[in-house]
Parts: sequence; C-alpha cells; structure tokens
Amino acid sequence: MSNPSNSLKISTFVCTWCDLTVSAFAADGTRRNHCPSCLHSRHVLDQVEGGPTDCLGRMSPIAIAVLRTGDWMVVHRCVRCDELTSNPVCKDDNQLILMRMAVRPLAQTPFPLEAFGTL
Amino acid sequence: MPRRNRSDGRDGTRRPQRHKGVPGDRGVPRTGDFRCVQCRLDVPVTAPGTAHRNHCPNCLASLHVDRRVPGDRASDCRGRMEALSVSVRPDGEWLIVHQCLTCGELSANRIAGDDNALVLVRLALRPLRDGSVPGRILLAL
Ligand SMILES: [Zn+2]
Ligand SMILES: [Zn+2]
Ligand SMILES: [Zn+2]
Ligand SMILES: [Zn+2]
Repeated sequence: MSNPSNSLKISTFVCTWCDLTVSAFAADGTRRNHCPSCLHSRHVLDQVEGGPTDCLGRMSPIAIAVLRTGDWMVVHRCVRCDELTSNPVCKDDNQLILMRMAVRPLAQTPFPLEAFGTL
Repeated sequence: MPRRNRSDGRDGTRRPQRHKGVPGDRGVPRTGDFRCVQCRLDVPVTAPGTAHRNHCPNCLASLHVDRRVPGDRASDCRGRMEALSVSVRPDGEWLIVHQCLTCGELSANRIAGDDNALVLVRLALRPLRDGSVPGRILLAL
C-alpha cells in the first residue's frame, strides 16, 4: 500500500515495488492491500500493537496460506522491520505470480522428493 | 531423512540467529526440553542440525512466547502457534510461517534438521490441494 492520492476522490496508490498506479479498491469494492500486479505491499498497520505504524517499509510477498474456506491469503514480510501480515487475495491479483509463489516450496525442497511415494 | 546440503550463502540481510532457550544462556534453565502443546511429544531442545529449536519436529506446532523480535520471549500470550504455510528464502532455505490460534499473530521460523519431512511437504502442498484458487487459475489460462 502506498501514498493515497490526495488530489482526487478516486483513491489510488503507487506500488512501492513496480511503480504501478493502482485503484485502492478492487472492482468488487474490497479495499486493496497489495499491488495486483507484483503483490508487494506497504507496512502501514502495526500488527502487534494495532493501529497505524510509522514504518512504511515495503512488504514483499513471502508465502501463500489457505483459509479453511479454501481462499488464499498472501503472507507479507516487511523488508524494513520483518513484521508479518496476511491478507486475502483479490480476484484480479496476478494469478501466475500467485501460482508461482504457491509452488516455490515444492520446487526448492530441502530434502529429496524421491523418497516419498504417494502422499 | 537426509538433507540436501546447501552452500551457506546467506545474504546477510536477515537478522542474526535467534536465541531461544539455549541451554547456558543467562536466565534459561540448562534443560530447554519441552512437551509439544499439540501432539504432546517430549521434545529435546538439542538435536543434530537444530541450533535453536522453537517448534515440534513431529507436528510443527509452537508456542506464542515472542513479541516483536524472534527470541525476545516478551509475549504473555502463550497461545498455540499452528504451522500455516511454507515460505522460501532467497537462499533456498525453508521457513515455516506460524500463526497463533489465540491472537492471530504470525511468525516465520527456520525448519530444523529433524522436522518431519512428510508433514512439511503436506504443508507445502496445501495451497494446491485445498485451495479454491488453483482450479480457477488453470481454467482461466
Ligand atoms: Zn507492484
Ligand atoms: Zn515494517
Ligand atoms: Zn507436536
Ligand atoms: Zn498469541
């Protein structure tokens, strides 16, 4: 999340990573927390204390998590202070980037997968 | 399960190794062994390939004891932390993302040499197996 535009009622932010200008709300009206193109975000909320934070560091996507509903969440980590957040994916988030994040652990296992038969 | 040896090419940008209940540290009992809050396994704090154990090698569950900094042990929550997902560092090392079932707080922790590999792989498969998104993505392409 980045600077909300103060000149327009239509609120937008500029992605801290890829510089894309993004509308702050997705088509279905949900508020975006991350860039739909590169999935990077900005550290604006303090997860430990609650409320806003002064950090404003860039938050990079580090993992995909699954809710009990089956919906995906993106786990972000602040590159400045290491705080973690998780946020729902939006319908128009870049699906290939999401998929690449989801399969990354399996592409880089710390042990040989050959040892497993069927799971 | 043998681990693939990785060259230890840490990028140096991460915070230094956490200190969590290392026997010999000031204020920490020499025995840091614990019983898992989830599967009740008695876990010895030292094992080959595990420098600073903070989760159960059998079910990967942990306890919410740290507040902001890993190892600070400054949280009063004491909730059970469940393994939520797997993240891969740029150097290829796996991290388990834990979430506290009591307060929702997240933390990321390095895997240990004796963590149950099958449980780890199942955790890594979860988005692909249980998620509603993969089918949608494949249909859309
Ligand atoms: Zn972006
Ligand atoms: Zn931050
Ligand atoms: Zn356990
Ligand atoms: Zn907690």
